[in-house]
Amino acid sequence: MDLFLLQLLTGLAGASTLFLVAAGLTVIFGVTRVVNFAHGSLFMLGAYIAWSILSRLPRSPEYFVLGLLAAALATAAIGAVMELALLRRIYRAPEMLQLLATFGVVLVVQDAALWLWGPVDLAVSRPPWLRGAITVAGLRFPFYDAVLIAVGPLVLGLLLLLFHRTRWGLLVRAATADRDMVAALGVDQRWLFTSVFALGAGLAGLGGALSMPQGSANLHMDLAVIVDAFVVVVVGGMGSLSGAFLAALLIGVLQAFGIVLLPKITLVLVFLVMAAVLVLRPHGLLGKPQAESRAEAETLAPIRPAPAILRRLGLAALLLAIAAPFLAGPYLLTVLTEAAIAVLFAASLHVMMGPGGMASFGHAAWFGIGAYAAAFTAQGLGTSMAVGLLLAPLCAGAVALAVGGLVVRMSGVYLAMLTLAFAQIAWAIAFQWVELTGGDNGVLGVWPDPWAANPRTLYWLALALCLGATLLLRRLLYAPFGYALRATRDSPLRAAAIGLPLPRLRLAAFAIAGAAAGLAGAVFAYAKGSVFPTYMAIPHSVDALVTVLLGGVQTIAGPIVGAVAYTVLQSWLLTSEFWRIKLGLLILLLVLAFPAGIAGATHAAWLRWRGRSA
Amino acid sequence: MTALAVHNLHKRFGGIEAVADVSFTLAPGELLALIGPNGAGKSTCFNMLNGQLRPDAGRVLLAGPDGTMDDITGLPPPAIWRLGVGRTFQIAASFASMTVRENVQMALLSHHRRIWRVWHAASRHAPHAANALLARVGMAAQADRPAGELAYGDLKRLELAVALANTPRLLLMDEPTAGMAPAERAALMALARTIARTDGMAVLFTEHDMDTVFTTADRILVLNRGTLIAEGTPTEIRANPEVRAVYLGENQA
Amino acid sequence: MLTVENLHAGYGRARILRGVSFALAPGEVLVLLGRNGAGKSTTMKALVGLLPATGRIRLAGTDIARWPPHRIARLGLGWVPEERRIFPDLTVAETLEVGRRPARDGRPPWTPDRLFTLFPNLGPLRDRPGGRISGGEQQMLAIARTLMGNPRLLLLDEPSEGLAPVIVDQMQAAILALKAEGVTILLAEQNLPFAARVADRAVILETGAIVWNGTMSALMNNPPARARHLQV
Repeated sequence: MDLFLLQLLTGLAGASTLFLVAAGLTVIFGVTRVVNFAHGSLFMLGAYIAWSILSRLPRSPEYFVLGLLAAALATAAIGAVMELALLRRIYRAPEMLQLLATFGVVLVVQDAALWLWGPVDLAVSRPPWLRGAITVAGLRFPFYDAVLIAVGPLVLGLLLLLFHRTRWGLLVRAATADRDMVAALGVDQRWLFTSVFALGAGLAGLGGALSMPQGSANLHMDLAVIVDAFVVVVVGGMGSLSGAFLAALLIGVLQAFGIVLLPKITLVLVFLVMAAVLVLRPHGLLGKPQAESRAEAETLAPIRPAPAILRRLGLAALLLAIAAPFLAGPYLLTVLTEAAIAVLFAASLHVMMGPGGMASFGHAAWFGIGAYAAAFTAQGLGTSMAVGLLLAPLCAGAVALAVGGLVVRMSGVYLAMLTLAFAQIAWAIAFQWVELTGGDNGVLGVWPDPWAANPRTLYWLALALCLGATLLLRRLLYAPFGYALRATRDSPLRAAAIGLPLPRLRLAAFAIAGAAAGLAGAVFAYAKGSVFPTYMAIPHSVDALVTVLLGGVQTIAGPIVGAVAYTVLQSWLLTSEFWRIKLGLLILLLVLAFPAGIAGATHAAWLRWRGRSA
Repeated sequence: MTALAVHNLHKRFGGIEAVADVSFTLAPGELLALIGPNGAGKSTCFNMLNGQLRPDAGRVLLAGPDGTMDDITGLPPPAIWRLGVGRTFQIAASFASMTVRENVQMALLSHHRRIWRVWHAASRHAPHAANALLARVGMAAQADRPAGELAYGDLKRLELAVALANTPRLLLMDEPTAGMAPAERAALMALARTIARTDGMAVLFTEHDMDTVFTTADRILVLNRGTLIAEGTPTEIRANPEVRAVYLGENQA
Repeated sequence: MLTVENLHAGYGRARILRGVSFALAPGEVLVLLGRNGAGKSTTMKALVGLLPATGRIRLAGTDIARWPPHRIARLGLGWVPEERRIFPDLTVAETLEVGRRPARDGRPPWTPDRLFTLFPNLGPLRDRPGGRISGGEQQMLAIARTLMGNPRLLLLDEPSEGLAPVIVDQMQAAILALKAEGVTILLAEQNLPFAARVADRAVILETGAIVWNGTMSALMNNPPARARHLQV
């Protein structure tokens, strides 16, 4: 009983920090409709800045509080700069592009923090006056935890007052519903957005700073906290502060008990609770159905078979690819094998995102499941490669079917966050279940059958499987199924009115995309001879996303062009130090320069050129 | 003969009775207008007929091909569509990433239960049937244009062609002429009328343009605060003092 | 009050307006007529700065072309969009507060009480969220919200669209009351009888260009022009 109470109080203390981060995320999303992936980075910056300030200040209570507030203000200022320099330019861009841009910020901040504060964890020793304990129901309980428990409701109350009792709050609530209308009523919404972003960033920074006396600042806290925050925001209902508070309590307490009782599956437990909430309340505990976003809908041109010149170019490229082993050295052949796999990986995501209209930020999960399935068949069952290559897409497809059943009814941003959360859980299982997966050491010795062991044969095999599957996916998009899928994206209402079963179509697309990514993962496993948890990590999901967005979501050739461009780029980038900051800046540059992707930009240029010459 | 029979329909939203005890019938080939002030419950009524909303009480019966009445109360929209109920929307909705013909082919694919095919090209499915439907609404010349580029009046006609793809026995039209020029309104409703008469298709529509209502409808239902306050021919409705007070006003003599 | 010269605008690659010019005198009610897609709403969105446009737009002597929307609004251009764009979660009273801006030129400012006199239906709904009032009430609220900004010029985009005839009558009375107060109004309409009862002058748009302009009475006395441009 005592342990129960103690864990409960610890959970409530953790919930406060979680609430601060989630509140910032939900406020920013509510007004700007941007899912700020970099919110975890702001949390991390808050922690580091708090370390820098607190370790220089006297250790008395008043300076401690001042230090925390200064850290929050500094993070708010960083948030304002981020809004002014980046987000302001992309509010009209598609939401996945915005998400990607904020991920670029994550990468930049990671390397900047590494450069500024170094790789070692940094801790602030708790000042003496904070070390005390208070007695609750006969139990000694850390004083600082009690402070944290009080901070959550206090901040919630202040925020509710701010939003419901001030003119600023009223304007923010109006802008949440319709920003252009608010501007047309004479409100400078640009300033409003900057201030909201600064507020959200400041809350994240405060959360980071408050977490310091208990833990330490480290370079992994950004992605750890953003996944938790996504879960809290989704469970609470996007845009609802009170919902975020309830969800933070729920998740915080769950985590506190999970760590004691079921340490290995805490993340899984969190995901299951989220699943249960969403099944019962699809918009979260206190959320409302999301209003249609007010941005002028882009008119999509019909997809048409490629013009003759493009077909000939494609055929030439294919012939070149088949002849490559005779022309290229071993290193280039490895890069080309990876490019072929990247093409299928991207094409599978494109089926979901383009015609399916479903954004995914966790596509690497299916890739990883396929890779592990191949590894286990190779090692556990000892069967031939053919079995592994068959089982991998089946496994990935089956898991995608199960997860998809839960998430395909969700709208864009929810879906992106849920797929991300699932991928994080898959990654955590691979990472933590050492007995099965070898944890960080991975599964080694996943070798292809002897007949395919030669790098050339392996390359041809990868090319045949990946390009074959990609062409099948293309065929699917021109078939009735692909049309029906596109119909549900173009107009769900009209699609339902002509009898199209929207959830089943989307679910099928989700599972097919998962299976295809699983095949890509299996081929990758055999090509590399080993499988690691990183295959399922967020950066790998982002790889697929960058590839598709690089190529352009609304062109069918997009993923192919994007995959080849990105693989070549990456093989050059990743070998250097501080690759994150370079990749991050590259992503930002691409998002700002080509909001329609490379293939999309080429297509537009082609239309312009043709229009002029006609 | 009855195409649709609605018995004692009720729907509440948070304590407010949006539709209270609405009953009416509709004959094949008949055009019935549902009018009333904004917020009177017209949309709610409509959405209960096509399955978007489930009634709290009451029954909706639809005549089957053999004349028996099927209970379609509370079925989801795709199921109701399969039983022969077509629908057009107040704000015309099309598949913008497809051509005009492909929009109709999509409806035909669904009608012929071919949407799960993964090999054959969708654009080769029943092109003649699609062209015939487009010809019927006067859109044959625009068959290859992207639907996203259509003028609004043409979009409405395309929507009608799509709604006709499963040869419905009942067509629901929600403010079919909203946003159209007067001449286009008359043409569209004349078209609907011709199709209703030749195919024996029943049409239920809501509309705020009284010229359209009085020239098109065979019969008119007037809804106010969720209840039917009048039912009759255009002449009877025009003369009804209660309808004039709550709905028609002074300028609609 | 407003001078528009050679206005061009569109969405992305689609060019909607192709050189539109017209002017409005203080206290005048001008109606833009034309079928859907002719460019009425596009003209209004270009005027309020929500669509990129080229050409000259002068409001009360100031060139406002390429200004951001909030500055245009502060200078005195009030816009009531066709879709009404009501804030669904804000109450009627809160919605009016969002629109509030200082009075100008010594005119009496609009207050909620004055607006509830203009639109008697709204008064009892003061604490009702905007998403839970009827279409006609939302249209009135949308106009009232914009009037709270004390605009010099009011842009009304199809205020009679989708409304019951009896509500259209009330809307007509409200617009005539505003006109009597000396408010300058630019109206977009498809409902010709309604336009004829409130407007002084008319401009007919067809595929983004002006094909007819003159006084409202001239249009009503010119059946061939009406038949050619408006099909009535």
